[in-house]
Amino acid sequence: MLTDNAVFAASRDSVSKIRIRDLGKTFSLGQTEVTALTKVNLDVTAGEFICIVGPSGCGKTTLLRILAELEAPTQGEVLIARDDPSAPLSSMIFQESSIFPWMTIRDNVAYGLRLRGVDDTQINKVVTHFIKLAGLERFADAYPHQLSGGMKQRASVARAFSNDPEILLMDEPFAALDEQNKALLQEELLRIWSETRKTVVFITHSIDEALVLSDRVLVMSARPGRLKAEFKVDFPRPRRVYDLKADPAFGRMGREIWTLLREEVAGQ
Amino acid sequence: MIVSSNDTVRISADPPKGSTSLQRLLRSDAFASIASPIVILLVWEMLVRVQLLDARFFPTPSSVIVELVSMIRSGEIFVHIAWTVSRVAIGTLLGAIPGLVFGVLLGLSPVLRTFIQPAISALYPIPKIALFPLVMMIFGIGDASKWVIVAIAVFFQVFFSTLAGVVNIDKIYLDVASNFKASRWQTYWTIAIPGALPFIFTGLQLGLGMALIVVVIAENFGTQVGVGYIIWQSWQVFEVRNMYVGLIVVAFLGYCFQLLLQRLQRAVIPWKKDGGT
Repeated sequence: MLTDNAVFAASRDSVSKIRIRDLGKTFSLGQTEVTALTKVNLDVTAGEFICIVGPSGCGKTTLLRILAELEAPTQGEVLIARDDPSAPLSSMIFQESSIFPWMTIRDNVAYGLRLRGVDDTQINKVVTHFIKLAGLERFADAYPHQLSGGMKQRASVARAFSNDPEILLMDEPFAALDEQNKALLQEELLRIWSETRKTVVFITHSIDEALVLSDRVLVMSARPGRLKAEFKVDFPRPRRVYDLKADPAFGRMGREIWTLLREEVAGQ
Repeated sequence: MIVSSNDTVRISADPPKGSTSLQRLLRSDAFASIASPIVILLVWEMLVRVQLLDARFFPTPSSVIVELVSMIRSGEIFVHIAWTVSRVAIGTLLGAIPGLVFGVLLGLSPVLRTFIQPAISALYPIPKIALFPLVMMIFGIGDASKWVIVAIAVFFQVFFSTLAGVVNIDKIYLDVASNFKASRWQTYWTIAIPGALPFIFTGLQLGLGMALIVVVIAENFGTQVGVGYIIWQSWQVFEVRNMYVGLIVVAFLGYCFQLLLQRLQRAVIPWKKDGGT
């Protein structure tokens, strides 16, 4: 077993896009202090797709919110390498529907670019591209309330990608969807991602989802959250969800991860 | 239609009912909503004619209508309406804009909220019309004081509604804005105002209702025109049919304002499904 302070690094010779060192976060709730994260160490290579799985309440979302600059850590540090100083650092896709009900799908997808004052022809080009990639052409001028949950999350994905950030953060974006839409959106996410090859940190509680999507799965312990183990996932890409699930290696890895996670979930 | 016997239950479509067009007309909502006021007016007319109601206070609806028609013919009524509408419109603009600005600013800033909200809340319970004598001392008895008192009435409604609207915006949208590095100004325009718009409209609706109350009272002072003036003037000369004309016109104006707001709301908030957010 790995020690608490192990650094999970993809491959030591490649460049780290994200470098997390001894990261910790403690919330104070009145008199009591709750440690959500402790001694998290992780290197993520540029272009890598990693998934973090863990029991609910283990601090996965806190870790993501720190990477998204929505919260500040109380210990340690995160380094994110910039390729383009003018590009935004991160775009996050949230679990619940987070596209703005008061904007059309097109305006939602254009949001990041508009805020940065990108010129209209450029916005139009990028937005049209990602709306097409996400299969949203028919709904480009619709408002979110006219769309299903799956379509709304597609719009969220398109909004994050069109912002063209250094890293993409995803907080269980498909957790609220039904099985069939989930499988569909996972494949579509992989397709969009393969075009851009952004560095992705994806949080999920689903072992299957982690194995389907990622290059590497990191297992998190129950609170206080720290990284417990890692698994390299080298199924060839492009991947199809149900082809992959039929692979015996997929089942074996899933069982291995579950054995680790089981202690954490049961021990809570 | 459910028919059950000992061994089966049959569930099938109901047979058509209400086949004649007269039956359908009697059942329609439109018919019901027109019929009841007409019945009331007819009963009223009869009660006055048989002298069960005192015609000095309750003139027959027919005589009021005759009066109304003559004021429409002479064009006199439109002058009064134009003055009242312009006072309400100017006052509403003067009150709604600061109400909106303060509502959004305080809605997004807990610090400003703790400093400023208590002061505004302390002023809120004062009946707005009770401030009118003071307003007239400051702004004179002309139109300016009428604009100001309407503005005060509208301000509070729009302010509190906007504040509630901004505070109630789902936190996730602010997180998205923050993740996309929206500036304060961008957050106001892209999140706070559109997110609070349904509430802002509720505030405008309540505010316009208040505006009409306030303007009718205010038109008792320092003016010879306005719908409120008709009502007060009729009281002084005991011309009760004129007073009823004034009441009808005020009710009609209130109805038109609400209709206008509904139209505006549908145009400005296309993402709001009817009946929900």
